[in-house]
Amino acid sequence: MKILLVEDNERVSQFVIKGLQEAGHTTDHASNGREGMFLGASEPYDVIIMDRMLPGDIDGLAIIEVLRKAGKHTPILVLSALSEVDDRIRGLRSGGDDYLTKPFAFGELLARLDALHRRAQGVNRESPLTVGDLHMDPMTRKVTRGDRQIALQPREFKLLEYLMRHADQVVTRTMLLENVWDYHFDPQTNVVDVHISKLRQKIDAESERPLLRTVRNAGYMVTAGE
Amino acid sequence: MMRSSALSLALGYVALGITALVLFAAPLWYAWQVTIQDGRSEILQADAQRLTDVYRRDGSAGLKSFIDTRLHMQIAGDRILLLTDSSLTPLTGNISHWPRNLPAAPGNYRVDVDTADHGIQSTLVHVAQLGNLYLLVGRDNKLFAPLERRFWYGLTAAIAVLSIAGLLVGLITRRALMSRVNSIRRTISAIIHGDLKHRLPSHSSDDELNTLTRTINGMLDQIELLVHGVRNVSNSIAHDLRTPLAELRSRLEELSLIRPPPEKTFGEIDAAVADVDRVIRIFDALLRLAEIDAGMRRSGFVPLDLVDLASAAVEFYAPAAELKRIQLSFYGDGPLPVLGDPILLAQALGNLIDNALKYAPENGAIDVAVRRRSDTTAEISVTDNGPGIKDSEKAKVFERFYRGDASRGTPGVGLGLSLVHAVAKLHASVLELSDRDPGLSVVLTMPSALAAGTGAAQPAPSPAAASAAATPVTATPAPSS
Repeated sequence: MKILLVEDNERVSQFVIKGLQEAGHTTDHASNGREGMFLGASEPYDVIIMDRMLPGDIDGLAIIEVLRKAGKHTPILVLSALSEVDDRIRGLRSGGDDYLTKPFAFGELLARLDALHRRAQGVNRESPLTVGDLHMDPMTRKVTRGDRQIALQPREFKLLEYLMRHADQVVTRTMLLENVWDYHFDPQTNVVDVHISKLRQKIDAESERPLLRTVRNAGYMVTAGE
Repeated sequence: MMRSSALSLALGYVALGITALVLFAAPLWYAWQVTIQDGRSEILQADAQRLTDVYRRDGSAGLKSFIDTRLHMQIAGDRILLLTDSSLTPLTGNISHWPRNLPAAPGNYRVDVDTADHGIQSTLVHVAQLGNLYLLVGRDNKLFAPLERRFWYGLTAAIAVLSIAGLLVGLITRRALMSRVNSIRRTISAIIHGDLKHRLPSHSSDDELNTLTRTINGMLDQIELLVHGVRNVSNSIAHDLRTPLAELRSRLEELSLIRPPPEKTFGEIDAAVADVDRVIRIFDALLRLAEIDAGMRRSGFVPLDLVDLASAAVEFYAPAAELKRIQLSFYGDGPLPVLGDPILLAQALGNLIDNALKYAPENGAIDVAVRRRSDTTAEISVTDNGPGIKDSEKAKVFERFYRGDASRGTPGVGLGLSLVHAVAKLHASVLELSDRDPGLSVVLTMPSALAAGTGAAQPAPSPAAASAAATPVTATPAPSS
C-alpha cells in the first residue's frame, strides 16, 4: 500500500513509518497541515493517516473536508488524542472513515489500515465468501466447512462474516466490538475472546487445519495460509 | 469619606425632604403675607377714616389735638401717626419727619420709617390728604414679627432636624451595612485563600442581604462538594495509576540492570506494554466518567428501545456466562422506548452483567430483566446469586476505585460501578442495590420516553400488545460438543 501520514509528532511518525515499512508499505510523511493537504490532493494514495491536531492554521478535519470536496475518496484514518465519543463522531462526520485514539497499539493501526484499504477496493455484499474450504453465502446465510454444514446464531454469523471479509488480515478485538456489536467501549473482560473460541469450536473443531487463528498481541485472523 | 451607597441614599432623601418642605412652606408664606397685607390696609384705612372723621368734625386744630392726646396718653398702641402741613413739615406725630421717597399723594405705600422705638423699619403706611394737611397712618410691624420669626425658625429647625436625622440614619445604615459586607468580604477572602469550609454569616431574617447570603452559601456548599469530588478523584487517580506505573518502572529498571537473554527480554517487554495498556484503560475510564459527570453527553440522547439494548447486551455476555456455567437469563417486556445515550447505557448494563459474572458462583444464575414499572418509568434489573454486598459497603461501591473485599483477586480497576452510577445520574435514573439472600440485585429505574416528552407523540402500546410482546428469552448454555 502507498500511505500518506500527516502527523506532527516526530516520535509517533518515526514509529509508524518504521512499522509500516516493515509491513511492506511505502509511506510519505507530512509534518504540517499545508504539506499534508498538498500531498493528499496531488498524489494517489491507498490510505491516508491523518492526525487531528496539527500545528499551523490547518487542522486534520479541515484537510479531510477539503479533500472530500475536491472529490478525493481516499480512505482516511483519523488519529487523535481526543477520545470522547462526540469527537469520534465529529471526526467521522467530516469525512474520515475510521478513528483511532492515541495512544494506540501499532497492530491496531495496521489492522485498521488493511480493513480500510480492503473496503475501498469495493466488495460485493452479496457475493459468497470463501477461505480455504470454508464457504459462506451472505444471501442464503449458509455456512459450510467442506461438506459439513455449520449452524450459526445471527451474531456468530455476523462475526464470521466480518472475519472472512477481512481474510488474511489481522482483525483486532476493538474492531470486532465496533463492527459486529456496535459497542464503542472497552468491556474490560475478554468477552470477545470467548465469542471467538465459541465460533472456533463450530468451524475448526472437527477439522485438521484451523482457519481462525489468534495473532499474539494483536487480534484474530481467518486465513487458509500457513 | 468613602463613597457609600447608604450615605448617598440618605443624603438624597434629605435633599428630597428639604425640597418638599420648601414647596410646602413657600405658598403658605405667600398666602400669609397677602392676608396680612390685606388686613393691614383695611385697618389703616379704618384708622385714617376715623381721623378724617375727626378732621371733618373738629377741623385741623381738632385733629391735631386728637392725635396729640392719643400719643400723649400712649393709647396709639403700635400705630405710626404723622400730621404735616402742605410742605410736609410735621405738625404732630410719633415720627420725626416725612419718610424719604414717600410721595405726598393719597394711597398705600411700603416705605422705610424711622420710628423712635424700633429704628428704621419697612412699614405699610396710608397717606390721606385732608384739606392742605397730609396725614400718614402706619402700623408697626412688631406685632407680626415674632410670628414671622417663629415661622422662619420653625422652617430652619425642620430643615436642620431633617438633615441631621438623615445624615445620622445614613451613617448608621452605612455602618451596619459595612459591618455585614465586611464580614462577607472577610469570609470570601478566606475562601479565596483556599479554606472552603467557611460560610457567610446569615441570620434567620428574610431581608435582601440574607437571601443573597443564603444563596451564596448554597453555591459554596456545591463548590465544596465538587472540589472535594475532584480532590478525591485526583487522589484516586494518583493512587491507582501509581501502582501500574510502579510495576512498569521496576520491570523496565530490572530489565536494564539484569539484561536477561533476548527471549526473556521480549517477554518482559510484552508485560510492560500490558502495564501501559492498563494505565491507558484507567485513563480512558476516568475521562469517560469526567465526560459523563460534566453532563456533556446529554447531546447524545436518542430514542431507543431498552429491551433491544438489554437483550443485545445479554447476548454479548452469554458465551462468557456459559464458560463459567452460569445461567444468564433475560426477560424483556417490550418494546420499551426510552431517551438515552445508547453507548453509555450499553456500557453501564455491560458493567453490571460483567460484575455479576465476576461474583456469581460456578453453576450460578444471573437474571437480567427489563420491565415497565409504571406509565412513566422503566426498570432494568441485574440479579445474581453471588455473595452480595455488605450493607456497610453499599454506599461505597459507587465511589471511584473502590474495590470491595470480595473483589480481591478479580480483574478490574474499581471504576465499573462508578460508571454505572454516573450513567444513571445522567439519565435521571435511580440506582438501587438490594440483597437477594444470597446475591445482589441492582435495579436501575429510569424515566421512559413516553413520559419524557420526545416519545409522547408515539402511541402507547395497548395492554394487549404489550403482554403479547412480553417474551421471556432465556440464553441457556448450549450443550457443548
